[in-house]
Amino acid sequence: MDIQDPSFWRAGAISTTLVMLVVLAFLSIDSMQVISVGGRNVPKYDVINQQIGYEYNWSRHAAVPVIGAAEPLFGKTVTEAEATDLMRTGKLVIQSRACMDCHTIFGNGAYYGPDLTKSWLDPAWPQIWMPMTGKTTREDAMVEFLMHPDKYPTWTRAMPNLQLTQDEARATVAYLKWLSAVDTNGFPANFSQAGKQP
Amino acid sequence: MYRSQKLSLRYYTAAVTLFGVMILFGLLSALYYLYPSLLFNIFNFNMSKILHIDTLVIWLLMGFLGAVYWYLPKELGREVEGMWLAELTFWVFCAVVAVVAIVFLFVQYGGANEFSMWFINQGRKYVEAPRWASIGIVAVMLVFAYNVIATCIKARKMTGIMWVLVLDLIPLVAVYLDAFPAVTNMSVDLYWWWWLVHMWVESTWEVLIGCVMALVLMDVMGTSRRIVETWLYIEVMLVLGAGILGLGHHYFWIGTPQYWLSIGGFFSALEPLPLLGMVVHAIYDAGTHRLKTRNQPAYYWITTEALLNFIGAGIWGFMMTLPQINLLSHGTQWTVSHGHFAFYGAYVCGIIAVLYVAKQQTSGVDVLGGRAWKWGFGLLNFGMVGMVMGLLLAGMAQAFYGRAIGGSTLMAFTTASENPWFVSGMWARMFFGVMFAAGYVVLAYDLLSSPKRVPAAGALPEPA
Amino acid sequence: MTPSALLETAALLGLFVLASGGYGSLYSAGRIWSRPALIRAGGVCWALAFALALVIAIHTPLDPGWKLLILASAVVYLVIPPMTWRYLDRMHHEQEPHR
Repeated sequence: MDIQDPSFWRAGAISTTLVMLVVLAFLSIDSMQVISVGGRNVPKYDVINQQIGYEYNWSRHAAVPVIGAAEPLFGKTVTEAEATDLMRTGKLVIQSRACMDCHTIFGNGAYYGPDLTKSWLDPAWPQIWMPMTGKTTREDAMVEFLMHPDKYPTWTRAMPNLQLTQDEARATVAYLKWLSAVDTNGFPANFSQAGKQP
Repeated sequence: MYRSQKLSLRYYTAAVTLFGVMILFGLLSALYYLYPSLLFNIFNFNMSKILHIDTLVIWLLMGFLGAVYWYLPKELGREVEGMWLAELTFWVFCAVVAVVAIVFLFVQYGGANEFSMWFINQGRKYVEAPRWASIGIVAVMLVFAYNVIATCIKARKMTGIMWVLVLDLIPLVAVYLDAFPAVTNMSVDLYWWWWLVHMWVESTWEVLIGCVMALVLMDVMGTSRRIVETWLYIEVMLVLGAGILGLGHHYFWIGTPQYWLSIGGFFSALEPLPLLGMVVHAIYDAGTHRLKTRNQPAYYWITTEALLNFIGAGIWGFMMTLPQINLLSHGTQWTVSHGHFAFYGAYVCGIIAVLYVAKQQTSGVDVLGGRAWKWGFGLLNFGMVGMVMGLLLAGMAQAFYGRAIGGSTLMAFTTASENPWFVSGMWARMFFGVMFAAGYVVLAYDLLSSPKRVPAAGALPEPA
Repeated sequence: MTPSALLETAALLGLFVLASGGYGSLYSAGRIWSRPALIRAGGVCWALAFALALVIAIHTPLDPGWKLLILASAVVYLVIPPMTWRYLDRMHHEQEPHR
């Protein structure tokens, strides 16, 4: 074949593209199984009934979520259907308030606010916001904060009030708890959990 | 002038206008970092950012549409089919953009319900526009695809460039369908969202700008069709060869299997290679024509496209793409640095070149030159380079202090954001952002003002 | 990866591609304007790129697979400019002999 002939390269372009697309299709089918709810890396929504940790795994060379004992959210164990409803609302909150145009989730979004992947586990809740809001549980402090973030700033760059109702705030907290249980191949790395209880 | 070329000028006008709107909201977004209480609870950062990134997508898309409508009749030797529909959809497009912008400005958010998704804000980056608007955009793109394909059929003529364009339109429109769903599972949501974003800006748009540049090279430098078509095929082969599985560099941390770290990192690392070939090609063309051309600004912007595409997408991307680095650089101002540089090098420079082609050919000036374009060229390029260097400084500080040392907690984020290196980076970005804005003003002025012709010195390339 | 290793490694990777780009640009400029000095300068750039690849391979905490990829890339970067040039030249001379 003459490499000066455009049809040689046209054949190359078509075949390369097709081969890559086929490989991508196979990988996507496999990935969907892993990332669907209940898949290897993404737990079912009722994981919010349990304690969630994040610990370094030496064989994986990455931190991985650790699902622990029962720890119902807001003191109430939910069924899978109830959890799914909460998640649906939580995700709609995140979209309708454009949270990912300030924050990142899994590192995707905007960089004005902190990453929320492990925010459920952030030491700021027990160390800063529980005292500030006067709440006795992490989740109650999160709800109070989300409903009135402008009342509880921690630095000059404060979070604005996005008019969340209490139901929306609770759903968002549930969503953030579930999110922290997703296996993200170790992102974010070195995450500190000092003061991880309550 | 063909009717579609008149439409093209309307698209170009809208594109340049939205380029200005984009810069306005870019400056505002940058200001929040320096004055965080600015417009607090009135107009927050996220809304400013939405207007900045969405106008980016729209103005570049309008530039592409304008470029295709400009060249299509010349390629196929006849008026574009379905022009009344195309002219109508232009106004539909503008109206949709205007209404969405007004809702973003004055309504901003809705409740956590389907009504918000349909009419206010979908909150997914680049495609925040509510679903009704996404339907409008799909309609515009389908009409565009119809115009292109129907004209090819009626003309009973296909060129290599047209084949590539037509085939590229299929995934271009298809992946936009991901602008609609609100998937609860964030991993699945992001998996398909990246098909839209990556397959636009790192695949179908690359092919689209390749087609446009092929047409411009024939026009501005008189390069032969066989040469530009050969290069287009090589470019498609290499860019899609690396870029399709290079999609995997967005699949490191969203819950996807570990094999994406290897696959995504490997193919992503290959992406700079074809870009180096383009740099060689650009220098070859520069030398062959001894820097002489009928259209000085277009020529310089095309050459800059090749260089800054290599640097912004190639070098900046390579710095942060390997998983061990990306784990710590992901989702920081480092990403912002790369994003700005890559978009600018890969697309903005090329669209500006096309605008100057239109300027010359509508004015009838034999050789286009002048002084204003040089000021615009300088201010925009220096402004962009300054911005990305400031963002790189801030991003490296953020990755170092916030992620590597601090572990990405809230306190780590706060500490990194108050670090002097980070703050300096933000000030530098602001300063050079203003320079960039000044460059835009000069560019807009130059595009609208009477053309400056320069005397032709020596033989000039004839259009192919 | 330690915090300093993060910045060092990223900087080395960026400089590696920059040097490769410098090689490609200088080589091309040297060929088109018939300046052997520019081609030699391009060669120096490639040598720098290869040296950077070696430093990356020896000194950084990247996994072995990536180090191998970078070393292999350095070799490929060497070949791209002359190969592209030869191809371009042949194509243009055949298609545009009047130039």
